Amino acid sequence: MSCSPFDIRDYVLKELSDPERKQVEVHIKGCQGCREEWERLRLTEAALFSLREEEIPQRIAFVSDKIFEPSPWHRAWAAFWGSAARLGFASAAMLSVALVVFAVVFTGARPAVSTPAPLASASSGNVKAVAMSTDQIQQQIQAAVERAVTASEARQQQKLEQVVADIRSEDLKERQQLARMADAALDMSTQRRLAVERSSYDFPRAQKEGLQ
Amino acid sequence: MIFRAVEDTDLIRQAARGAVEAFNLLVSRWEKRVYNYLLRITGNREDALDLTQDVFLKAYQNLRKLDDPGRFAPWLYRIAHNEAYSMFRKRRPESDIADLEPEGTDTGITVGGSSVFPLELSLAVAGALKQLSPEQREAVVLKIYQGFKFEEMAEILSCPVSTVKSRLYAAFELLKTELAPIKARGVS
Repeated sequence: MSCSPFDIRDYVLKELSDPERKQVEVHIKGCQGCREEWERLRLTEAALFSLREEEIPQRIAFVSDKIFEPSPWHRAWAAFWGSAARLGFASAAMLSVALVVFAVVFTGARPAVSTPAPLASASSGNVKAVAMSTDQIQQQIQAAVERAVTASEARQQQKLEQVVADIRSEDLKERQQLARMADAALDMSTQRRLAVERSSYDFPRAQKEGLQ
Repeated sequence: MIFRAVEDTDLIRQAARGAVEAFNLLVSRWEKRVYNYLLRITGNREDALDLTQDVFLKAYQNLRKLDDPGRFAPWLYRIAHNEAYSMFRKRRPESDIADLEPEGTDTGITVGGSSVFPLELSLAVAGALKQLSPEQREAVVLKIYQGFKFEEMAEILSCPVSTVKSRLYAAFELLKTELAPIKARGVS
């Protein structure tokens, strides 16, 4: 049993805080038993690290797959409207244009107070259009992902059924082979019995014939 | 230390908003680690590859449910763990979870000599890992090969930290008996 102030395994597994680590290090220096325990744990950990990681045989194609990508038009649209700064800039530009148009067309004709309402509604209309288009893209991606999940589950199910079918087929083959072996053994045993019976009957007759 | 121009947390936030390219980058960063984790707990390359694919599909579908992007790694491995055990259950529905063993003939351990480690050592390690129970082996894989903290392992395995510790300590007791003398002789 270790007499270390903290568990030496936690020290090796890097689960201790810095002050706790220091306390363990000080203790290990002065305690032969704990030093040996630490050495063995350290060697075990080092041995475990000798196993290398494998490269993935093929890249996970998921999102880079064409099926998951929205159309280029949607991508460009989403890329443009996806940015809050661009959205703000575009809204400000539209507002400026609207103000200029208003100033040119309606100067002096109507009081300026009535203008904000249609501008505000036009602006919110734009935002709604952008939101809808982003939603549509999301829906398309979601639908594609759901299709892929369904396909993946179907693939797993198919693989499972294949494994079961293989096992059944092998089982059947083994049973047939066993039946053949049993038949062969039965034939052999029958033949042997007949041979024994024949020899037991034939021997006296042969003896008789020899005597005659 | 690996320099990364964009942190995972930023990519996760972007991906959660629907940025496909951000998720692509996340996949390329994590696919090898997730594949190796699954390979070591399933012991079968084909299963590990299929499961890795499914893990990232599920992750993409549920990314918006991840509250803290800083917890992405344990969250992703939790999905991977669930997918693997779901596969085990489908194949052997009558077994208890505790009795589930990987179906492969090996433990998913790649044994190979390298300029750093001799082949004998890799074989000894693979043999020692094979003697562990599936839970102990998974604990070793998560701690040693994936570098998770006890708390994160508890989250991934959905069990108390005390259970994680007891599995790992028991595994180390066995591994120490098997590997420490071999390594010591090799060194001396």
